[in-house]
Amino acid sequence: MFGRAKRGVDEATVLEVLKTVHDPDLHRDIVSLGFVKDLKVDGGKVSFKVELTTPACPVKEQLKAECHRKVRELPGVEGVEVEMTAQVRRAAQPAGPVLTGAKNIVAVASGKGGVGKSTTAINLAMALQRTGATVGLLDADVYGPSMAMMFGIDGQPVITPEKKLLPMDGHGVKVMSMGFLSDPSRPVIWRGPMVHGLLQQFLRDVEWGELDYLVVDLPPGTGDAQLSISQAVSISGAVIVTTPQDISLLDARKGLLMFRQMRVPVLGIVENMSYFRCPHCGERTDIFSHGGGRRAAEELGVPFLGEIPIDPKVVPGGDKGVPIVVEDPESPAAKAYIAFAGQVAAQLSTLAAQGGGNVPHTPVMPGPIEWR
Amino acid sequence: MSDEPAPASMRQAGPRDLEIVWQDGHVSVYPVAYLRRACRCASCVDEWTGAQILKAEQVPEDVRPVRIDPVGRYAVHFTWSDGHTSGIYSFDHLRAICPCAECAGR
Repeated sequence: MFGRAKRGVDEATVLEVLKTVHDPDLHRDIVSLGFVKDLKVDGGKVSFKVELTTPACPVKEQLKAECHRKVRELPGVEGVEVEMTAQVRRAAQPAGPVLTGAKNIVAVASGKGGVGKSTTAINLAMALQRTGATVGLLDADVYGPSMAMMFGIDGQPVITPEKKLLPMDGHGVKVMSMGFLSDPSRPVIWRGPMVHGLLQQFLRDVEWGELDYLVVDLPPGTGDAQLSISQAVSISGAVIVTTPQDISLLDARKGLLMFRQMRVPVLGIVENMSYFRCPHCGERTDIFSHGGGRRAAEELGVPFLGEIPIDPKVVPGGDKGVPIVVEDPESPAAKAYIAFAGQVAAQLSTLAAQGGGNVPHTPVMPGPIEWR
Repeated sequence: MSDEPAPASMRQAGPRDLEIVWQDGHVSVYPVAYLRRACRCASCVDEWTGAQILKAEQVPEDVRPVRIDPVGRYAVHFTWSDGHTSGIYSFDHLRAICPCAECAGR
């Protein structure tokens, strides 16, 4: 009859409605961000891709649903196919010729030991990898490397004819640790200058290939090793791990000041061992006074990236070589790690969109200057 | 944090001059002997008292960098022809010692 919508729709109309879909982190619409790709309109059938800046985008499903619904509601549209893809961008330019294949280098730091920093680093890496990203994990904790055990990795890394070390495989993440090279029964005792040389070599001689994210597990504290890494590579951002019982504001602040001095953007604070959820009744118990991480973040003016509950499975998972994000992805702790990883990825995407972030971008020199 | 100076580029501008163009558009040209004398490493400036250890006349007039390397996101490192290698120059320090008439007049 009259008023019956004409069959089909045109591309301009589809783009018009997609302009009302906003990326909540980048605060712009997905069309002007250039996220909409391969738009095809065939009569009433519409298909397109949405290319995000990280596969770990925490609101990927909501964005997909919103795109689908808004296009589906257009007159004349009979079917919609939305494919979500991602192209990870760089949040910082490499400083010099080291680790140029890694698009984003995330340092996981803590003011002091025993806060679950390595567990956090591993589960961050695993959670990013499971979204489809290419991820590496560098255990830079030269004093107490733990990745071999926590990933259940045996044996030694292969050395290529070019004298490069190949990272080992840990559930799909490329892993490199001092622990792969040293005797686990002997403690590692390094003096400052040795640590510096060792890390330099490590950063130079591991063949990582192309990575979307390289997670670096820093040794606890704010000493030589942390300085060495922040000097040798251009860290895209740092995550500071605290616990609630930690009177850790002071520790967190120390870490924050160190990174600020070195102009490494602090992506935020994550609170580990935040609370206990009873596996039987589901009741939540704050074992330690809770909320210290959030308060620290507010006081220091950095984002709060989430709180990870205590899960008895996390530790056995760590000891038998299967991170909880792999072992039991539906558990509260794994879900918290996945949400935290999404926040980290979102922060990095925001930095990339700002061209380096609140700390000035340093595209200073592509390499050393040789004086003539 | 726009108060943090960051270079847009850095290059050798002459036999004895290093040029930095800053992201805010300012251009600094440093005579390299001046830079060598402005080293703030622990063997050139006393860490506790801040007293100058390195004396200007100890630096040969024809000193020049052998190479300049990036240090993380915040500094550069000089290897000097007089054998000195321990100086790390943060961008903050480099901007603060810009010798142009405008900056020196402040």
